[in-house]
Amino acid sequence: MTLQKLALLSAAAIALASCGSAENNKDNKTEASDKAAAFASTYQPMPSETTFITNAFIIDGAGGEIENGSILITNGRITAIGSNISGSDDAVTIDAGGKYVTPGIIDIHSHLGNYPSPSIRAHGDGNEITSPVTSEVFAEHGVWPQDPGFDEALEGGITTLHILPGSANLFGGRGVTLRNVAARTVQAMKFPGAPYTLKMACGENPKRVYGNKGGPGSRMGNVAGYRENWIKAAEYKAKRDKGGDDFKRNLQLETLADVLDGEILVQMHCYRADEMAQILDIAKEFDYKVTTFHHAIEAYKIGDLLAQSGTCAAMWADWYGFKMEAYDTIRENVPFVHAAGACAMIHSDDDLGIQRLNQEVAKTWADGNRAGLNISRAEAWKWLTYNPAKALGILEETGSLEVGKRADIVLWSEEPFSTYARPEKVMIDGALAFDKASGFKPTSDFRLGQVYEGQVDRSSAGGN
Amino acid sequence: MKVKSIEVRREEIKMTHLKSLPLAALFMLTAVLPAVAQDMLIKDAKVVTNTAAGIIENGDILVRDGKILEIGENVSAPSGVNVMDGTGKWVTPGLFVPFSRVGLVEISAEASTNDVSASEANTSVSNRAADSFNPKSPVIGNTRIEGITHVVSVPGTGKNIFGGIGLIANTSGSFESIKNPESFVFVSLGERGAGTAGGSRAAALNQLRGALDDAGAYPSRFKGPEDGDALSRRDAAALFSAARGQIPIFIGADRAVDLLNIIKLKKDYGLDVIVVGAAEGWMVADDLKAAGIKVMVDPQENLPASFDMVGARLDNVVLLDKAGVDYAIMTRSADLTHNVRVLSQHAGNAVSAGLSWDKAFAAITATPARWFKTKSGSLNKGEAASFVVWDGDPLQVTTGALSVYIDGQSQEMRSRQSALRDRYNPKNIDKLPHKYR
Repeated sequence: MTLQKLALLSAAAIALASCGSAENNKDNKTEASDKAAAFASTYQPMPSETTFITNAFIIDGAGGEIENGSILITNGRITAIGSNISGSDDAVTIDAGGKYVTPGIIDIHSHLGNYPSPSIRAHGDGNEITSPVTSEVFAEHGVWPQDPGFDEALEGGITTLHILPGSANLFGGRGVTLRNVAARTVQAMKFPGAPYTLKMACGENPKRVYGNKGGPGSRMGNVAGYRENWIKAAEYKAKRDKGGDDFKRNLQLETLADVLDGEILVQMHCYRADEMAQILDIAKEFDYKVTTFHHAIEAYKIGDLLAQSGTCAAMWADWYGFKMEAYDTIRENVPFVHAAGACAMIHSDDDLGIQRLNQEVAKTWADGNRAGLNISRAEAWKWLTYNPAKALGILEETGSLEVGKRADIVLWSEEPFSTYARPEKVMIDGALAFDKASGFKPTSDFRLGQVYEGQVDRSSAGGN
Repeated sequence: MKVKSIEVRREEIKMTHLKSLPLAALFMLTAVLPAVAQDMLIKDAKVVTNTAAGIIENGDILVRDGKILEIGENVSAPSGVNVMDGTGKWVTPGLFVPFSRVGLVEISAEASTNDVSASEANTSVSNRAADSFNPKSPVIGNTRIEGITHVVSVPGTGKNIFGGIGLIANTSGSFESIKNPESFVFVSLGERGAGTAGGSRAAALNQLRGALDDAGAYPSRFKGPEDGDALSRRDAAALFSAARGQIPIFIGADRAVDLLNIIKLKKDYGLDVIVVGAAEGWMVADDLKAAGIKVMVDPQENLPASFDMVGARLDNVVLLDKAGVDYAIMTRSADLTHNVRVLSQHAGNAVSAGLSWDKAFAAITATPARWFKTKSGSLNKGEAASFVVWDGDPLQVTTGALSVYIDGQSQEMRSRQSALRDRYNPKNIDKLPHKYR
């Protein structure tokens, strides 16, 4: 669903609500979205100036490159991009000096905020390990905006990130898409208009966690659990669509019914090829779509099936072996899935990995080409921005440098597939959020008064 | 076998395979893969020697009977020796992982395959990782083909602060790959040590001092097997060499004040200490230098992952270097078993944090080789060579290893992962079901 469509839906819903129609499904949905509006985005871009970035080597994120290109940013949006455009008189000019400019990176799989640093017991807010079905919980309610990881991710060029509940449960709860901005509340980070997502999980985790707690205790139980709950969701949706006094809201089923309505995007943790194929069958049975398989260690074995179903895969470059279902990865997973015509992307699932996702793509891109593929750098950049934006339903807003989109931009110290490249400037909605040269960057409350702030001289560091 | 085939082996051996080749031919191809001593001359490569000769921009290296016969410029090829054009390629000593669990675990989450720790065992220091090490683990092949020739494998802690005795191995996968089965003892202090010692840092340090006293007084203190302050007779015997500074003692610690306590410990007992972690090492870098303490650091750790690491910063390794501390680079934050091949990426990130390329590269080659006495850290005339031919700067994430030599033996560049890759390569147009490909 596009943001425009979402906006239209809510506008229609408000109109209906205001004229007091007691009638149909729209009403019940309105009630639901009004409740959800309790956590509505309050995001406001930082103030920005009209900005003209010139003399840049642009990788546009949509598969193109522009040598010696320029970008004009007005009111936080890209208003012109190309090799032959001029700035405006009131624009602040940034001469990139031939350096690389790319879209801000999007990480579709992060637990920043819900498994924040320091990684202590009190900070474990990412998994509601109390039942295999917890579609009623929202990741955002466990996100701590003071996680120092957000600030470091920004320095790695991350401008948008998707925070998911963990993978203990069959239905883990709702995920949330955030702007990587300095904020006191999670509402002020929420990407305006971004659809909610539903985290689901395949395989070892649910059966391990619940094997001795009433099940599921096997992959068979996992599948039975998905199907039983989709049946309940379909019944709930039918009641909701019908409306009337005897309809009672149920947070758990509301999330699933919204999936069936196509308003919530399914983001599913799944490693093995055969399991992903079974999940795609369940999606057909209950008429919903799996937007993305996450981790997808064996996605390269079924690239054709993913391409046919229009399902994306979010993968690591090389991490594997930590459990049986992660045994079969190859370093060429991402490019092989891409070569099969499916939507491939990188993801981190890690608070350090998120700081250098460009390197993860560079690794897997180079390995793919060494294996005989011929994927251009510009095409590979889609794995960092365009495809995750698509899989999060925010492609019309970000993910590439195109006119009309938010000016989420990274200026790199050198070619960004080099290990030595670091972001020098990061802009979110056209506003400078990180500037290496001047040291302008956000600092979490947690860092204040800690030795991190301190100097090399140990006599003055910490202890204050 | 033509040398040319070495450099393309990784890409082509199985990619081009069954399209036209009968199975028998495939077996012939794979049959030549295992390690062999191979005579060859690499011409005009960028050769990183890690010796006084430094980096030779247009370097030649002649290998014969497993030894480096000549290294320098304008080396001519004796008759019968294959010549590889090294233009655009780099030749360097093999990479050395200074801290890992390689060979000790197959699937981390499956206890039956995981020999890292023995949490229920009553023995501790005397547990030898070498007795768990499996040189045939596919992890080793996956690691080797990325240019890593040597690993340190470290047992984890169980009931107390001691992990046991660790080993040095090469990645050849042979049954003779362990170079030193009793290379060092591992001990954990900091948060983890406090946990295993019963709940406090004080208990952990007290346990370590008690154990060092036991080992120092071994065997006279032991009338019965349980007579030690902290260790049984068997474990005290195992700590004997480390307690006298004859082999290194690895101590896991990150908090600055813990590092100062370790400095005292070293002075009191005359230990050869290698600190593992040292995330806050920058705060006490001068002290570490003065005390002659070596450290292993991960240059990608910059978050307060624990309350032992609130001072973690990206340029820790740069500051340690400025103070003159002897350090190696490890991959602790990323992985210690299956993915230690990101070692070169970690060193590359140390460069982006401000360390010089030469120093970063030494920290994953020459330095651990010097610490663990493997001779693998430099390319010297007359020595059995452990080296890698790369298609570019080895610290670049886009670079791949083309061929690997360990102790003069050309290594197989096929692994379980490359086999999976070749079976499922979109370029593989074989129409048979995948299991037949």
